[in-house]
Amino acid sequence: MLLTPQSVELLAPVGTWDVLEAAVTAGADAVYLGGKRFNMRLHRTDTNFDDEKLARAVKYAHAHNVRLYVTVNNLISEREIPGMREYLKLLNQIQPDSLIVQDLAILQLARDMNITVPLHASVMMNTHNEHSIKTLMDYGITRIVANRELTLTQLTLLKERTGIELEYFVHGDMCVAHSGQCYHSGIVFGQSSNRGRCLKPCRWPYQLVDTATGKTVTANDPGLYKLAMKDMCLYTALPQLIQAGVCSFKIEGRMRTADFVSRVVKIYRQAIDRYIADPTGYTLDMADWQELSDYRTRDFSTCYALGNPGASSIGYTGEREPRFFSQAVKEADITANTFLPTVIPKEFAASANRPRPQLAVRVACLDSLSSALQNGATVVYIGGEAFKPNKPWTLKDVETAISEAANYKAQVIVTTPRITMEREISEYEQLFKSLETIKPHGLMVSNSGMLRLAQQTADLPIQADFSINLFNHLTAAWLKANGARKATISLEATYEQIAELAQNSPLPLEMIVHGAIEAMVLDHCVPSAVLEGTAVHLCRDLCTEQHYSLLDSAGERHDLKIDQYCRNHILFAKDLCLLPHLPALMSAGINHYRIEGQHYPPELVGLITALYRTELDKLAAGGNYTFDKTCIDKLTAISPRALGIGTFRYRISR
Amino acid sequence: MAGINPPHVETVIKNKARGVVQLHHIGILQLTQNLDDAVRGFKAGLTDAGLIAEFHYLNADGTLSDLPKLAEKLAEQKVDLIFACSTPAAQAAVQLAGTIPVVFTPVFDPVGVGLTQSMDRPGGKATGVAGMVPAAAKVAFIRELLPAAHSIGILYHSGDSNALLEVRNFKQAASSTFTLIDLPIVMPEDLSTLPARLPPVLDALFLPIGRVVEENFASVAYYAEAANLPIITSHAPNVPSGALGALVANHYELGIACAVKASQILAGTQPGSIPVGIVDSPEIQLNAFVADNLGIKLPQALLTKATEVFE
Repeated sequence: MLLTPQSVELLAPVGTWDVLEAAVTAGADAVYLGGKRFNMRLHRTDTNFDDEKLARAVKYAHAHNVRLYVTVNNLISEREIPGMREYLKLLNQIQPDSLIVQDLAILQLARDMNITVPLHASVMMNTHNEHSIKTLMDYGITRIVANRELTLTQLTLLKERTGIELEYFVHGDMCVAHSGQCYHSGIVFGQSSNRGRCLKPCRWPYQLVDTATGKTVTANDPGLYKLAMKDMCLYTALPQLIQAGVCSFKIEGRMRTADFVSRVVKIYRQAIDRYIADPTGYTLDMADWQELSDYRTRDFSTCYALGNPGASSIGYTGEREPRFFSQAVKEADITANTFLPTVIPKEFAASANRPRPQLAVRVACLDSLSSALQNGATVVYIGGEAFKPNKPWTLKDVETAISEAANYKAQVIVTTPRITMEREISEYEQLFKSLETIKPHGLMVSNSGMLRLAQQTADLPIQADFSINLFNHLTAAWLKANGARKATISLEATYEQIAELAQNSPLPLEMIVHGAIEAMVLDHCVPSAVLEGTAVHLCRDLCTEQHYSLLDSAGERHDLKIDQYCRNHILFAKDLCLLPHLPALMSAGINHYRIEGQHYPPELVGLITALYRTELDKLAAGGNYTFDKTCIDKLTAISPRALGIGTFRYRISR
Repeated sequence: MAGINPPHVETVIKNKARGVVQLHHIGILQLTQNLDDAVRGFKAGLTDAGLIAEFHYLNADGTLSDLPKLAEKLAEQKVDLIFACSTPAAQAAVQLAGTIPVVFTPVFDPVGVGLTQSMDRPGGKATGVAGMVPAAAKVAFIRELLPAAHSIGILYHSGDSNALLEVRNFKQAASSTFTLIDLPIVMPEDLSTLPARLPPVLDALFLPIGRVVEENFASVAYYAEAANLPIITSHAPNVPSGALGALVANHYELGIACAVKASQILAGTQPGSIPVGIVDSPEIQLNAFVADNLGIKLPQALLTKATEVFE
């Protein structure tokens, strides 16, 4: 297709009025900014626009023929829903050119409230497959801010298959972890990166150690900042970017100064205009490139746009980090104070009609599956990511699992990976076909695309995993409307937030109460980058023999679990253990409990399952419940990691 | 930059072109947007003083090493005066060749860092308003906020000269009131092991000014909360993030006070003869949510006086 000046939009970040004027003057086609509520830059009170200023900004932008998008890209808690309704009403009155959204609840709200402003899917939605895009389009999403791990080739494919407008980050600060799937700040500090309050644990110093010995494995350590992603810069790849069919080039930096934004916009503007006017005659403007480089914050990388960048995308020395937001801390252990109601109502005990609490266990192998079933699991989760040295589940394994579970009248649910790009989607499409004859009891899906694929191709009950980030009942309603029969509560929700959500949920909710929890999931392979300086595809299977962990400055060891797709999953140093808090959860109306047992050996899976089964049955039986604290000591002694309480340390997750 | 001036100033700029009024060219050298309240106060103060100015605002966005070249840029614009926010910005402006006068804030130790010879008589081409709240006022504030507190830990970065100065002042002012425990950190990562270094008996943590501890405040607050320790900070943004309270300079007011000095200079007074001002009316900020979590009752007198109480 022939290029016109309208083919490409240069989209600039705006935090203050000065920056708005600077971006417009420098030649931005569109700007994005946040209000004082519900967006991803909530640390700074001096940035973002109040309601009156938002309205003025829209008028100002339109007077200058510039489009203006408002970021409404937070997960919202139950009690924030009324505020969100009000805000959406206001935004619909002032009519910006789009709302950039994250929470699935907003799709439902926008539909219910007849919001006429177009919706864009925030990068926080982690949209990375065609099925997600189609689902979002059904809800009026006109554009997606594509997942930053997608290459330009993958973007082209998505564009061709769906026709959606694609927006892609081309310049600025990046996350090393998959957006919307990073729980580190939210769980440790109670300040969620999915709610605009990330304290950036990826910018902490870490040593790479052998999990078994705790000894460092780096003879020549490139530097301590092993997760410190460089800044994105696609200036040198503009022709590829334009030809890939990306329509909006997004510059990151809503907390940046007018000077910074103005310079970056001006330089990209000139290059885009020159290319569109004369693509074959286009050359890189070395003076502009030099200027961009001179005023860079961190060093530049093309990140994933041209393929997995491996070690070249990490600023190991940390010397160009502009600032830090926190330092590593000891995670809250099992003895830490919790924010729970002091008196647990006993009503749950009185109800004789209450069904037996369900206990689901995610397992990594058939031995663990047997162990879970023998000890009282009513549901087992299999499939999805296989963490080395475990092997992926074969069709035969799935059949064996189903016949074994039948002996216990338990259910086998086949799960799907959290990140499902082209490869995974195709593989699972085939798996779902095979499952028609194997007939497990259901599927658990991890993103909106898998939900759609499962709904359309498999005749099995579907449930949603934690990675959907269920934070309010409207999201549960959305999931229900799209075919889910059960959903998992966000790992970042606190007790108070869980109780409020459970009260209103139209779907049965499952709560993860025990196990190894993932802080981050990365397409970047830490050991291969650190030890071999390579991108992921060049490695020599460093992870088959040895296991690695990242050791932070608080002395906490974060085990690295590597799956069959070479993604790195970084665990919290402490495994979640909410065994002492089952009465509180029961009283909140939770009847489905889950143990994440995939990182435990079979014996431990059995033991933990038995402990939870016993306590849940005691509680369900009613009467005077007492909790035997010594079982915690026993658990602590045999767990591969220390035990912690996750978000139960906090009253509310901010 | 286009549009940075209010419309009436734009009119004056046009009039100036026709030789109607006196227009001053004022450079603003900023280290980070966090200090922009001072800039706003400064501009408002100049307007109040009836001065008409065109502003040339440059911001290093936190990158210290950019300040000298930004200062050079202002000099090239032939500005009449530079308003410099923060110590490094003031130093960069003062180090310029030539005689452009400099008005600074919130510089904590103008004499110590060599910007002025003394507070009363700066002597050189710079004057301004020091941003440090007097230590005695902070001690009195802590006493009023935490009447039962005896033992106070002072947590600071030992590589930060501003922090060291405030620690010295605070110790002098507080040693007869509190038992003080020195808690220096050498590297930011030292905050990770803070609990191991806290003495068993401690009633509160005091945080002097200093970038490293302020930036990584979340980790301090995390441990303090677990230890049920109230934090008194010197950095206003730490209060909504989990400190119990702070007695801080109002940057907008500092800007206004600087505008008075700037107008004296623009009227012909030598900066070297204009005394450096100090913070004379610091404001109280409190966090009621934190107080509640700690089981502390905020004294009514303080709540009345507070400029801001976060819920």
